[in-house]
Parts: sequence; structure tokens; C-alpha cells
Amino acid sequence: MSFRHPVKDGKACAFQVRGAASIMILLAPISAGAQTTPSFGAEEFGMTRRELVQAIEHGEELIAKCMQEQGFEYIPADYNRVHAGMKADKAMPGLSEEEFISKYGFGVATMYTGQPPQLTSGYSPARVGLGERNVEIFKSLPTADQAAYNRALLGENPDATFAVALETENLSISGGCTRKAIEQVFKPEQIKTSYYNPQNAFINNDPRMKTALRKFAAEMKRNGFDYNHPDDVEPDIRTRLAALTSSGTIPVEKMTPEQRAALRKLQDYERRVAAKSFELQEKLLTPVEEQIQQELFARKVQ
Amino acid sequence: MKDDGLHAVDRPSDEHTDLPVRGGDRSELRPPLGTPGGRRSYAPGRRIRLLYALLLIVAAAAGGAWFAGTYIRSPAEMAARVAPPPPSPILVAVEKKVLSADVVTRGTARYGLPQPISLAPSPLKAGAGVVTTLPLRNTQLHEGDVVLTASGRPVFILQGKTPAYRDLVPELAGEDVRQLKQALPRLGLPSGDADAPFDQKTSEAVSTWYRSRGWEPFGPTREQLAAVRALERDWTDAEKAKAAAAASVDTARVAIDAARAAAAHAIKSAATDNAARDAALRRLPAGSRQGTGAGNASALMVENERAKARLANSAADAELSAQIAAEAQVALDPRQTETARQAANARLEMARAAQEKTRLEGEMAVQAAERDAALVARRTEVSRAAELSARLEGNRAVRAALDAQGLAQLDLKIATQRADQLAADLAAAKGKLGVQVPVDEVVFVPSLPVRVEEITSAIGHPASGTLLTVTDNQLSVDAALPLEAAPLVKAGMPVTIDEQALAIKATGVVETVATTPGTHGVDGFHMYLGVRVESTPVPLAGFSVRLTIPIRSTSGPVIAVPVSALSLATDGSSRVQVMQNGALEYLDVRPGLSAKGFVQVTPVTGQLLPGQQVVVGYNNPGGRETQ
Repeated sequence: MSFRHPVKDGKACAFQVRGAASIMILLAPISAGAQTTPSFGAEEFGMTRRELVQAIEHGEELIAKCMQEQGFEYIPADYNRVHAGMKADKAMPGLSEEEFISKYGFGVATMYTGQPPQLTSGYSPARVGLGERNVEIFKSLPTADQAAYNRALLGENPDATFAVALETENLSISGGCTRKAIEQVFKPEQIKTSYYNPQNAFINNDPRMKTALRKFAAEMKRNGFDYNHPDDVEPDIRTRLAALTSSGTIPVEKMTPEQRAALRKLQDYERRVAAKSFELQEKLLTPVEEQIQQELFARKVQ
Repeated sequence: MKDDGLHAVDRPSDEHTDLPVRGGDRSELRPPLGTPGGRRSYAPGRRIRLLYALLLIVAAAAGGAWFAGTYIRSPAEMAARVAPPPPSPILVAVEKKVLSADVVTRGTARYGLPQPISLAPSPLKAGAGVVTTLPLRNTQLHEGDVVLTASGRPVFILQGKTPAYRDLVPELAGEDVRQLKQALPRLGLPSGDADAPFDQKTSEAVSTWYRSRGWEPFGPTREQLAAVRALERDWTDAEKAKAAAAASVDTARVAIDAARAAAAHAIKSAATDNAARDAALRRLPAGSRQGTGAGNASALMVENERAKARLANSAADAELSAQIAAEAQVALDPRQTETARQAANARLEMARAAQEKTRLEGEMAVQAAERDAALVARRTEVSRAAELSARLEGNRAVRAALDAQGLAQLDLKIATQRADQLAADLAAAKGKLGVQVPVDEVVFVPSLPVRVEEITSAIGHPASGTLLTVTDNQLSVDAALPLEAAPLVKAGMPVTIDEQALAIKATGVVETVATTPGTHGVDGFHMYLGVRVESTPVPLAGFSVRLTIPIRSTSGPVIAVPVSALSLATDGSSRVQVMQNGALEYLDVRPGLSAKGFVQVTPVTGQLLPGQQVVVGYNNPGGRETQ
């Protein structure tokens, strides 16, 4: 499950379809033999399910190899495990997406513990995506090795596991061996911070969606939030949390009273802004997105 | 299309031309009927259309030719098109390098022999003090250094295997005292024979040691002085008790003599009474004195009475018989009168009565004699018992006096022992009044110097229990090996230690490889690996480091090619395909150590030099690469 703006989250690559079709018409006399219809998958990064499975399993193998070179043991997680981690994002048993958002916002500051994901016991998509065996391996290490393990595996962002990076379609947050593996599996442009799923980029550029986004920004502003796009909200919370917690290195129990008060404040803010953003998305953006997708595809892309 | 002057200039002069002529008859230039230009304007338009038609035909012909050229192909051409392109070899240069097969693992560096520094409460002090100063982490501690201070008193560190567990005071002996006396000379302070107890020389050395570090040595405490005074008092009391006990012993001896005299007197009195009674018995009639004792005499008296009774009875019986006979004569004699008969009967009756009387009197006399005999016997017994009692009483009194004497002697002994013990305690207490080392002012560690690893206490906290942890200065790395890799690693193997993220690079040696899994805190699926750090540019303690252990290595640089360059010939021999003068040739090789994707090769025939190109696969322009 993902709580991103559905425009960005849409899985059909209409832009590519239309653009590619135009290019095909223009180039038809020249490339009469190249009449292949481009296909776009419904999964992350416009991949098909098969491509996603291959990317995950290849990526996990590369991660394991890299970790082994670093002297650490890492068991490659299979597709199901990584996919479970992806689905665990903003999901909790017994709670609908709306209920989760109203209760925990994006699950960023509200679920912050300061612990490595492997040591958390509650909500942690990162831990789910790593798999129990890797979690057990991590737990068996001394403290210094645990820090080095996560530095080797995840770089400076201990929550940016392979599953989380895939689910958020933001590979730029990855680090360490995960980043190295991603660099070998994905294209360079897909790893950039500015990368947008082409389908989402196309929908975002639709005039109707631009109008809807303007309304979204205006409504958010009216409610005291300064965001132009729903996709800007969660990264902003993450940035604020990182600033407050020195990039997530301060456990809650070691926070000063001032830091705790600031964290509580950020948690309240996260809940409010997430709820409002979700509400506006459902009201303003989702209908437009569905309309555009209907025009582009026979059915709404899941 | 607009008509303009240019058309008129290029127009041919043919009269049948449809094009208007510039400067000609303007009347002829009117447009045709039904058209803006009149009839004569149809001719140029038709020609233009014709031109366009021609152009269109030419274009269609060209397009058709292009289409035919593109899509219509001969079978041979089609076969040629679908045939795979000739593969091009992927070439990689031969290298000369050291090949090494490594075991890579992780570990956490630490200093060796972590040991807690704890303080035991000293009985010399009222209670555990308060930590007043603490060392900084990584502080190096040498022998005689002050580790910390507690309530204004120092805590020194000395070398020794036995931890400090008691106050080191004068006249004490033991391993801890030996450690102290061995440490003092290392500090330049002679302290006498190390095996001798804590003596005056030791006290002097300790005093000098304390003062040289700016501290006052620990002398006798008020409690110790008070204890000495109490001991003196007790000793005095004990001496008094001892004298009193000695007097009691003398008194008991006199009491024994008195008891013995009293007993003799009582026995003598009883014997005298017995003798008097015996004498009285001896004064009885001769017939009754036969026998040896009072019992026999009494028996004789009884027999005497019985004999008398029998005699009287016999006389009475004879009288009765005589009367019977007389009565019978009278009765048988008819001449006798009735009165005579009655008189005879009366005499007979009287005889019978006399006989009865005699018998009764005899019996009574016998009974009286028996009672007398019994009375005599009882009196004799009483007399003897009285004598025996007097004898027993005398003995008891003597024994009681003897017991009293024994108790008095025991009291004397106890009092003497107590006095002696107190005298010894007093002497010992007085001997311990010198300079001493309280147990909470010294810690012993097996080796020095050490470094402060961790401080677990804080200033102001009670100075008891574990306050800090020290280690030696030898860096070690605790790591774990997978079970399958552990047998490959042996003690003494060199280890490359590094951490890329921290730019750390060091070297070490395998020190320990556990033989059973799950030891030293590693899980049951790994073997403990201990690595001793030999050289490091930075302190590694606390860092997680990567350990690379070459388990096999070539002795030096060798000719190596990628593993994918090696292939098997039909005869099973190994070979590589080498680019020689623009052509590919197979070269038989003998493979050696394989590591990190490379394999050592030794040419069996020919020569293989670094830089030469070998084939590792074939590149298919269609997309896939093949090996």
C-alpha cells in the first residue's frame, strides 16, 4: 500500500503511450520495420510484475554479495519478502489506509524510535522487507557491528531499505550496498531524486491535473500548510524529523525534554497534514487522475 | 497557385500555350468563363497538374521501389538477414598478480583483558566513601598511580593477581601482603622480605609511598585506639579474675580436708553404735547367744520358747491321758458313784483345758520370741545402715569438696587463658597501630600498565562496587566465522583489518579459532575468532572492522586470467584462447589457484605474457553475450 499522491502513484504510463505513439507515427516511414508497441507495467517504475521480480531478486543477490565483501552475512530476501515490506508501508493490521493516516499520519515521526529497523518491534516496513533471517543476524551482532552492518547495508539512512526505496519510488534515499545494487539494477535516471515515474509525470502535466493541483495547494494553504503537491508532504516530514534527530540517530529514550517536545509537536503536525492531504487528494486529485487514466487506458491502472 | 510575371518570362512563345504573355494583348488575358481567369488560363493549370501528376508518378514509383526494396527480399537475402551475425570475441588482458583466496568476516575491536575495578568496604572506615575524582577514559595507569579518590582518600593501583580483599595492616601475612611488599620495591621503596608479614619496614615504605604521592598515610584510627584501650581494660579484668580463681582453688583444697575429717568422724560414730549394739546382744543367755550374730541369737531364743512350749504341751498331754485313763477306770468301775464319775469327767475336762492352756501359752511364748528376734534383726539393720550412711555421707562430702576444687581449678584455667588471650590481643592490637593500607585504598590488577576502558560510576556516587573497567593495551578483535569457513582459518594467519567507511587499515594475526560453536558470546551457528591487532595507525577500540584472512595465496605475482577465459578441450585439458597476431589460438595451460574471479595459469605449451588478450566470451551484436 502506498500513500502517495495517486497521480504519481498511477501505474499506467500514459505519457509514454501517447508520446511513443506520436513518435511512431512520425517515424513510421523511416522505421517501418520497428513497429513494436511499447509496454508499460503496472508496478513501480513502470515495470511489469516479471521485471519487478527480476529486479528485486537480482538486487537482493547483489546486496548479499556486497555485504559479504564487507564481511557481513546477508541472506537475499525473495520477492515475496521484499514485496511484503513494500506492502507494509503505511499499513497496520485492522486499520484502513484512512484510519492509519488519521492515527499515525505517514508513520514517519509518529513511529520514530531512533532504533535500527531490525531492533524495532512495532510498525516497520523496513524490518519486514529485510526478512526475519536478516533481522536475526543483525540482532546477534555486537552493537558496534550492528552500526557497521546498517552503514554497510543502508548507508546513512537506516530506514531506506530496498523495499522502502522501491515502494516510495525514491531510489535516491538508498545507500550502502543497497545503493550499489540499485545502481546495477536500475537506470541512472531512475536513481535521481528528481526522477518521476513517466506515467505520473504525464498525468501531472495534464492541464486538468494542474488545475486540480492548484486547488490542492490553495486548500492546503487555507488550512495552514504550504505544499503544492501531495508528494511534497512526506519528504518534508522526513526532513524535519532528520533535522530533529540528527538523521535518526537519537533514540527517543535519549532525547532531551526539548527534543521530545519538538518530536511530539512534529507528530501532531504530521497527523494533521497527512489527514488533510489525504482528504484533499480523495476529493480533488483522485477523480481527475481516474478520468485521465480512463482516457488513456481501458481500465484504471491499479 | 498565384499567377505572376515569372511565369510569363519562362513561358514558351508557342501560340497554343495557355500561359499569358506579359505586355501582350490584354484582352486575351481575361479569365475563362466560369473561372476568374477566363478560358485561356486552363492551359497552364493543366500543365502544372500534369507536372504534379508526373511528379506523383515518379514519387509513387520511388516509393514502390523503396517498399519493394524494403519488404520484398529473396529467400537468400531473408536467410542472410535472419542468420546470426558473426560473433566478436570479448578480450581481456592477461594479468600478473598475486592471487589470494580470502575469508572475510567482521569483528569489533577491543582492548584485551577487560577487568572491573571494584572497591571493597574497609572495616577501618565508618562506611563506603563518596567518589571525589575519577580518571578520564583511555587514561594510562601505571603501578602506584592513583586511580581515583574517594572521600578525599586515594585509591592506588598495584600489580598483583590476588584482588585486595582485606585491610593490609602490620603483622598481617598472606598473598596480598606479599603483593604489596613486592610492589613497593618496584616503586623504589624497599620493604624487606616479601614473604615476611607486614612489619615496621613495610609501614615505613608505605608511609614514604603515600607521602611521595602527596597523601598522608593511613595511621591508627580512633576505633583502633579505643579497641586497644578496651582490650587493656579487659586484660586487667581477666588478670583479676585469674587471681580470684587461684584463691578459689586454695579454698577448695581446705574444704576437701574438712570434708574428709567430717566423714571420718561420722563413720566412726556409727561404728561405735554398732559395736555397742553387738555388745548388748552378746549379753543375752548363753543358749540364745549361740551362733555368730544377732540373727542366730534371735533364732535360738525362738527355738528355746518352742522347746518350752513343746515340753509344757507334752506334760499337759500326759496329764490329759492320765485323766482319761482315770475317767475310764471310774466309768468302767460300776462301783464308782456317779459323783466319782462326774468328778473323773471333771478332772478329765480340766486336764483337757489345762492342755489347751499350755498349748496356747506355748504358742504365745513362741510368738513373743519371734517378735523379739525380728525387732533385734531390724535394729541391727538400722544400725548397720546408719554406719553405711555415715560412710556414704562422708564420701559425698569429700567428693563435693573435690569437685569444688576441680571447678575452681577450671575457673583458674579459664581465667588464665582469657588473660593470656587478652594479653595477646592487646599486644596484637598495639602492634597494628602502625601505618596501614585500607582495602579501599588499593586495587591489584594482574598486569600493568592498563588503560581506563569504561567508567561506570560518577563523582558523588558511593565508592563501592565496580567503579570502572580497565583493559590492557593490546588491541584484539572479537569476530565470528561461519561453521564452514572456520576450519580454513588457523591461528597465526595474517589478517588484514580495514573499515572502508572510516578509512581504517591495520594488520593483525589470528590468535584464536574456537573449536566449538557458540563460545565467547557468538551464536551457535558461528565459531569465535580472536584476532590480535599488530599494527594500526589509529586506536581501533570499539570499531567494527572488516577482517580479511587470506587462506590460500600464491607465493608471488603469477600469470592470471579470468576464470571465464579457461575452457576444456575435448581431451579434458585446460586451455585459453589467445589473440596472436590478429588471430585467435588455443593455448594449453595448467590451472592453479583460483580466487576472486581469476585463476592462475601456467602455459603447458607456448608462452603467455601479461597484457596478452584472451577470450572470455563472445559478443553477439544482436544483444546477448555468450561465453
